[in-house]
Amino acid sequence: MDLNLSPEDRAFRDQTRAWFQRNVPRTELRTLDERRAWHRTMYEAGYVGMGWPKECGGRGATPMQQAIAADEMARANAPAPINGLGVGFIGPTIIIHGTAAQKERYLKKILTAEEMWCQLYSEPNSGSDLASLRTRAEATGDHFRVDGQKIWTSGGHIADWGILLARTDPAVPKHKGISCFLFNMRQPGVEVRPLKQITGSSEFNEVFMTGARAEKSDLIGRLGQGWEIAQTTLGFERGGNSMARVTRYASAFDRLVDAAKKIERGGRPLLEDPVVRAKLGRAYAEMEVQRYAALRVLSALQKGDSPGAASSITKLSYSEFEKRYYELCLEILGPYGQVTDGGLEETTLDVDSSSGVRSSWAYAFLWARAGTIYSGSSEIQKNVIGERVLGLPKEIRADRVTGGVQRGATPPSAKG
Amino acid sequence: MDFAFSSDQQLLKNSARAFLDEHVKPAQVRLLWDDGRGESEALWKEMAQLGWLGLALPEDAGGSALGLVETAILQEELGRAACPSPYLPTVLAAMAIDRFGTPAQKHRWLPAVAAGSARATVALMERALDWGPASVETHAEERGGKVALSGVKQFVPWAHVADVILVPARRGGSTVVYAVEAGAPGVAVTPLTGMDPGTRLAQVRLDGAAVAAEAALPAEAYDFLLQRGAVGAAAEMLGAARRCLDMSVEYAKVREQFGQPIGSFQAIRHKCADMLLDVENSHAAVYYAAWALASGADDGALAASVAKAYVNDAARKVCGDAIQVHGGIGFTWEYDLHLYFKRAKALEPLYGDAEHHRELIVRRVAR
Repeated sequence: MDLNLSPEDRAFRDQTRAWFQRNVPRTELRTLDERRAWHRTMYEAGYVGMGWPKECGGRGATPMQQAIAADEMARANAPAPINGLGVGFIGPTIIIHGTAAQKERYLKKILTAEEMWCQLYSEPNSGSDLASLRTRAEATGDHFRVDGQKIWTSGGHIADWGILLARTDPAVPKHKGISCFLFNMRQPGVEVRPLKQITGSSEFNEVFMTGARAEKSDLIGRLGQGWEIAQTTLGFERGGNSMARVTRYASAFDRLVDAAKKIERGGRPLLEDPVVRAKLGRAYAEMEVQRYAALRVLSALQKGDSPGAASSITKLSYSEFEKRYYELCLEILGPYGQVTDGGLEETTLDVDSSSGVRSSWAYAFLWARAGTIYSGSSEIQKNVIGERVLGLPKEIRADRVTGGVQRGATPPSAKG
Repeated sequence: MDFAFSSDQQLLKNSARAFLDEHVKPAQVRLLWDDGRGESEALWKEMAQLGWLGLALPEDAGGSALGLVETAILQEELGRAACPSPYLPTVLAAMAIDRFGTPAQKHRWLPAVAAGSARATVALMERALDWGPASVETHAEERGGKVALSGVKQFVPWAHVADVILVPARRGGSTVVYAVEAGAPGVAVTPLTGMDPGTRLAQVRLDGAAVAAEAALPAEAYDFLLQRGAVGAAAEMLGAARRCLDMSVEYAKVREQFGQPIGSFQAIRHKCADMLLDVENSHAAVYYAAWALASGADDGALAASVAKAYVNDAARKVCGDAIQVHGGIGFTWEYDLHLYFKRAKALEPLYGDAEHHRELIVRRVAR
């Protein structure tokens, strides 16, 4: 056990830190074009798609180097690169499962963010039970005709392409009849409607597909292999980048302490109140434990161990922590924590939420509710941990007993 | 960077597990619970022979010169076995003597600890129930080339079997730490009966107990003891918690209700998943802190407080949830779960409770 960085990693960190200090934009990036330009600058410096193999346009960086870069980015308060789903999950999926032609066609434009990507997985009646999805892709001559509805599509409103899960064979058990496509979002038959969330903002969308086209050459893997491919994608997502996330929490903690010095209660600063101090200590301890746990996961990745089902522990841990953390922050700040405009300067300072959006304490608090739902809810993660990490017996489930979705059958959840 | 144990560390862990599984079964723990002394001379000697007592002591004292990570590995296994033994306070006091003691003190105590012929403890708490050095009321008075100590120390672990007690006391404006021979005149030890008979405690009354004037360890020995004691206690609690998790998972696989193993019910399975999360996070906290203190990292003291504050809560929750998963059987005296539940609980208030360590954290990070 040795948690010191190697000399090479230390050198890489110093060099990365210096680069971000020199290059981080001094003004807020407002438009997509401005953000794309910043993305491009990072790409050219080699900080986008770092883990991708060199022959695919990446630099074959180690997990440690990727974590260091993400951490330095968070430390410098740098705007995140765009096309996160494309670079983080969809590109790697194409690299693993795609044809030579698909790699040639799509990968470079994902890295440069010339084409933006989204993920078309969840449906109104298929959330936790994703494999029950009902969007159809029917082979008709030279292409597939796609009909159905997707929901919780982040970035759908700016996406050029999406990775789509659709049912190509309704006659086989539900996990076996799903295929995975690269799907053009800019075509007739695709309608994107922003979904207004409890934050008041619209990071997510609904996507309606009516007689839309998926080309045969855009099928990823084999017909019916979609579920298996989706598992790899969700695996990338659950692994997450925990180090950088903790760095963001830590910068929020510093802002919280500043506010606790400024706000007074009962004639003294909050920071001098023993009850507040106990809460601050608890929040900080939990946050540090997230950091230690992230180091442990990183160390395993670095050795080439695949986290597998254990990545569910990471996802469960940080998302549940984040909820408790911002709850505690708002508790400490009292009514100031909920002010989004017009309050003290110290209490309306920007906070980086895990969505990468810099906004208010209130926004971070609200956004934290998403983390325990998206990408497999906490309950689903606990099922995975129970079955696949602890080896507890599988629960008896109706879909496992009957072995699939029958044609025309209505899932119980759809009956209202 | 590598968070995993080295192969030597893993070997140490495996051999400790094997030894304790064979020699410190729950039945032996129960025998020691009923024993007046509460620990076994034979077991102590075996620990010495295995090299556990001198693990972190220098080679010229008969030790192995290993570090805090190795010590934590053993402490975790001892907690997993709910082993009744003054291991934690003895190695803690010995490490402090090794770091801060005079050559005479080292010569007097370190070989004896490593060989299993001496036990030691640390008397950090007084009437004020505060873990800060400023709350120490025990005072040192110069008397004819010697120092006389007077005061009352509370909840001192294993004081009734200790040969030497490290005693923080006021001298002038600061709190220094004296090594007091337990048999010396003016030292009275009164054992207490507690909920966990595997963690013995005692009151130590000092009434002009005489020690050599140059025998004081410097003021920083106090923080050293509190930090390393906190990590050691957290490691034991981690071991107890992991044992409770393992027992719960095994039980949930075989116990059937409504015609199914209870582990197939989400109510049980989700609880077990939460327990695993707490245990894995506790593992990260304990070993990060052990490594940080051992390697002299900037955040060693902070990490020690984080570990104690976090694991206190996590271990209590995991061990308590284990009883809930087991249902009625978990509440019986004959079932072994309460051995670990009580061990974790007994360590909660020792070496700084969670509130104290949270305050230490805030002092370090919110200036």
